[in-house]
Amino acid sequence: MNSAIPPRRRGLTWAQKDSVWGYAFVTPQLVGFTVFVLIPIVSVFLFSMESRNLLSGKVSFIGLDNYATMFGKDPLFWKTIGNTLVFSAGLVPFNIALALLLANLLARALAGITFFRAVFFAPVITASVAWAIVWQFLLQGERGPINQFLAVLGLNGPDWLRTEGWAMAAVIFSRVIKTVGLNTVIFLAALKNIPSELVEAAQIDGANRAQVFRKITLPLLAPTTMLVTVITVIGSLQVFDHIVLLTQGGPANSTFVLVYYIYFQAFKVFETGYASSLAVVLFVIALTLTLVQWALRRRFVYNEV
Amino acid sequence: MKSSLPRSPSQRRFAALRHWRAYLVMALMSVPFVFPFWWMISSSVKGLNDIFAFPPPLFPANPNWSNFVDVFSYQPFARQYANSLFISTVVTIGVMLIASLSGYAYARISFRGRNGFFLLVLCALMIPAEVTIIPNFRTMTAFDWVNTHIPLIIIPIFGAGSVFGTFMMRQFFLQLPREIEESGMLDGLNRFGIFVRIALPLARPALGALAVLTFLSSWNAYLEPLLYVNDLPLFTLPLALANFVDAYGTPLWHLQLAATTLAVVPVLLVYVFAQRQIIDSFMQTGVKG
Amino acid sequence: MTSSNLIRAAALAMAATLVLSACAAAPAAPPAAPAPPAAAKPAAAEPVNLRVTVWSGNEKHLQTMNDIATAYKAKNPNVSVKFDVIPFADYLSKLTVQMSGNNPPDLGWVVENAAPAFIDAGVLVDQKPSLDKTQGYNFAEYSQPAMGLWQRGGAVYGIPFSTSPFFVVYNKDLFAKAGTDTPDKLLAQGKWTWETLAQAAKAIQATGGGVYGFQPVDSFPYNANIIAPVIRAYGGDLWDATGTKCMLNADSSVKAMQLIHDMLFKDKSATPIGDKSDFYAGQVGMATAQLSRLAKLDKAPFKWDVIPLPSGPAGDSQMVGQAALGVFRSGKNQATALDFAAFMTNAENTAKMSIYFPPARKSVFEAPAFLTSNPMVTAEQMKASVAVGIDKGKIVPVHTNFAKIELALKPVLDKTWLPGADVKAQMDEACKAIAPLLTP
Repeated sequence: MNSAIPPRRRGLTWAQKDSVWGYAFVTPQLVGFTVFVLIPIVSVFLFSMESRNLLSGKVSFIGLDNYATMFGKDPLFWKTIGNTLVFSAGLVPFNIALALLLANLLARALAGITFFRAVFFAPVITASVAWAIVWQFLLQGERGPINQFLAVLGLNGPDWLRTEGWAMAAVIFSRVIKTVGLNTVIFLAALKNIPSELVEAAQIDGANRAQVFRKITLPLLAPTTMLVTVITVIGSLQVFDHIVLLTQGGPANSTFVLVYYIYFQAFKVFETGYASSLAVVLFVIALTLTLVQWALRRRFVYNEV
Repeated sequence: MKSSLPRSPSQRRFAALRHWRAYLVMALMSVPFVFPFWWMISSSVKGLNDIFAFPPPLFPANPNWSNFVDVFSYQPFARQYANSLFISTVVTIGVMLIASLSGYAYARISFRGRNGFFLLVLCALMIPAEVTIIPNFRTMTAFDWVNTHIPLIIIPIFGAGSVFGTFMMRQFFLQLPREIEESGMLDGLNRFGIFVRIALPLARPALGALAVLTFLSSWNAYLEPLLYVNDLPLFTLPLALANFVDAYGTPLWHLQLAATTLAVVPVLLVYVFAQRQIIDSFMQTGVKG
Repeated sequence: MTSSNLIRAAALAMAATLVLSACAAAPAAPPAAPAPPAAAKPAAAEPVNLRVTVWSGNEKHLQTMNDIATAYKAKNPNVSVKFDVIPFADYLSKLTVQMSGNNPPDLGWVVENAAPAFIDAGVLVDQKPSLDKTQGYNFAEYSQPAMGLWQRGGAVYGIPFSTSPFFVVYNKDLFAKAGTDTPDKLLAQGKWTWETLAQAAKAIQATGGGVYGFQPVDSFPYNANIIAPVIRAYGGDLWDATGTKCMLNADSSVKAMQLIHDMLFKDKSATPIGDKSDFYAGQVGMATAQLSRLAKLDKAPFKWDVIPLPSGPAGDSQMVGQAALGVFRSGKNQATALDFAAFMTNAENTAKMSIYFPPARKSVFEAPAFLTSNPMVTAEQMKASVAVGIDKGKIVPVHTNFAKIELALKPVLDKTWLPGADVKAQMDEACKAIAPLLTP
């Protein structure tokens, strides 16, 4: 290492020294990134072309056979892809709409507002396993607290986690309640940065609250919304513990999502090669969704703050 | 967003009345956020019989405090609690160190390859960490680090955790006016001095927000510990919570709920005391795209 | 220009050093002791550390096993044995992961439904030669049905330490309240069948107060282990003995499934799937159970009794779950591990373990020591409901593709356990779903 340092160090300008500092600053991150992110991403593509059984230890190179199986002979694969997309399509808009609504409510200068801010953020700091354990009880069939409450209102709640359709809805709902607080706070911060003169000017012009929200707040929040959407979409693709504890993928595999399937193939039936090819699909989905959002950003984000 | 800020207490009360609709909406909306906690805490002192009682009493008649004792005799719960605290703390410190350095460099220092490197980081931000579990798992097996805490610490510090942290810190440092640092340059500080003496102290809210997020994501992690840790004394809290089952996998509900309460309530208390700082740090950081 | 290149070189060099030092740090981790080849029996002085994976964290279980290990060390001072607990839920995953790592366990518990896959994958070692060598082992006294799963040709790939029959446990108080004949009375009259069980369940449910009549093992979904005893009592099975032909859609199997379906949705007498009502909390009249579960009745505020599984049109049909001690091929101390396995499962130590785990050795499960070992159950009950099961019970459904079959079966069962489901059609569906996994 010493030999690489130029002998005439004194001759370096501030800018040149500065760029040495630059490399020094990013090195720990870049090295770690290379070892734990970059190389693994490359290797998962290679692994996906193997048949590798963890139990028997048998390994063979099989080219694209895993993909052929996946696309042609594995109905559960398509089911998990569908479920993953349904989960994301349900969770992301619901989460963002609720976060926007809550942020607008919580942005007001009302007495006791910090109490409500704390309330809506509380599930965020709760371990998601703990959250899922509790909701598993709340969502029980006829004896569950939620259904007993509905019964008081004269409603007959379904067996949430055991009924196809409702199970996905229940999983999404409990997940949104768990995570919406974070997005709310991010929106809240962005709302505080909107110059109040803009809003006041609009009000003087006779705009009502809904109009202010639509014409001023929403466009100004666009960059934040973009970021929140990206984070929420990625988060929705990663859901695992919530599903494992609430439904184990059931009923009738209706909540079996891709990450759970990767885990299942790799560590329950020990086909790590096949699991790697599923991971490649997850990679492609994440990449596609991000590119789509990037393209949409051009159309909807007028104002880059 | 309404124009005037109420000043005196009486005005405040008047305002509160005037905004009763907002309060009503918020109160109703907070039900699904609050009820799970209440139900969890009240159920944690119920016996096996009362948890299934029909209809379930909201306040247990004979609180069964022994659940909280049994939790500790069933598995090394205190140890597992300490494991989670330790791992999450180390991960948080590690990510803060690495991410503040690299985030600052990407925001402020010009060096060749900067944009390329950052583009990589940006791309990685969009990749779920689950894509890499199998290769990382094999690396850890090769190093013989399975069934230790090492993977739970180094993978988040160097992988997804610092990727997100780098991004977040860069966004924060970009907002910082350059003029503040120029005085440091005139004082003859080098880049490291400017970073430590000027930039870092100003980054406190961002570091706070990053610390909270990192701590929580490590504290919450389930998949990674599930893969890497085998022995009960090495378990983390989420694994321990899911493990209140008998030898055949049947859940022991009463213990599970007591343990869940023990896992949630202290964090909740810390949060109640620090919530203003926590939320303020997020608001000041103003995470932006 | 040159200097900036030099800077870049410096940075690269630094990065490289970091990577290298990171890599260099790795071998510093203590490498697993390079074991001598398995065949060469180590000299007495050579210390050997055996690692055994188990899934029970129960202190008494561990105490008994550690006592056995201590006795072994007394005879073989160079051998230390350590029992590693891996929770049951992820036992197979974690065991497999460990076997593929650098520090594989030497022995371990293997659950019955994983046995075919383990044997087929070649991860278990044949213990027969070692058992034959061991004086006084008396392998012949193992109950033959109990050994079936673990033997291939002459080879023995696991020695069952637990052969645990399923039986029915019932709440006498709820039966008294319902005023219906108790199972022991029905059994005495030769009328203890799944049909009379269903009738009793209905009567108990009808007493109201939110109680149910029947609960399958705990509150699991109605999976293979739940439906198998009923289906077999009707003359069907999940698949045939060769594991190549689906039998779920056979008439007998469908009849049995229909009975369970009626209990769930017509009579509403069985605990709904996912419902957390519990027999052990006094909310259900009857449950299928195994010996280990009875510990939960320690302070039960109701009277209860145990009875063998009911019979069906095809006659008596008992079922056992099993767990065996296996020696792993990847282990580095095979010779010692084999020797320890033979010691751990000899008649004397089997008797010690039988306090917690029903044994498959005739001399042990017929001995008074075993029959009086469980404080929750009388010797007569043990004889009538447990010993009989060990001797005659058929093993729960197993298959080399079990994990995949279970996954394929789950959605179909989920759909079967819905009100108004066409059971016959669903069973056809089930056979279609698992057919690709049954072909050898």
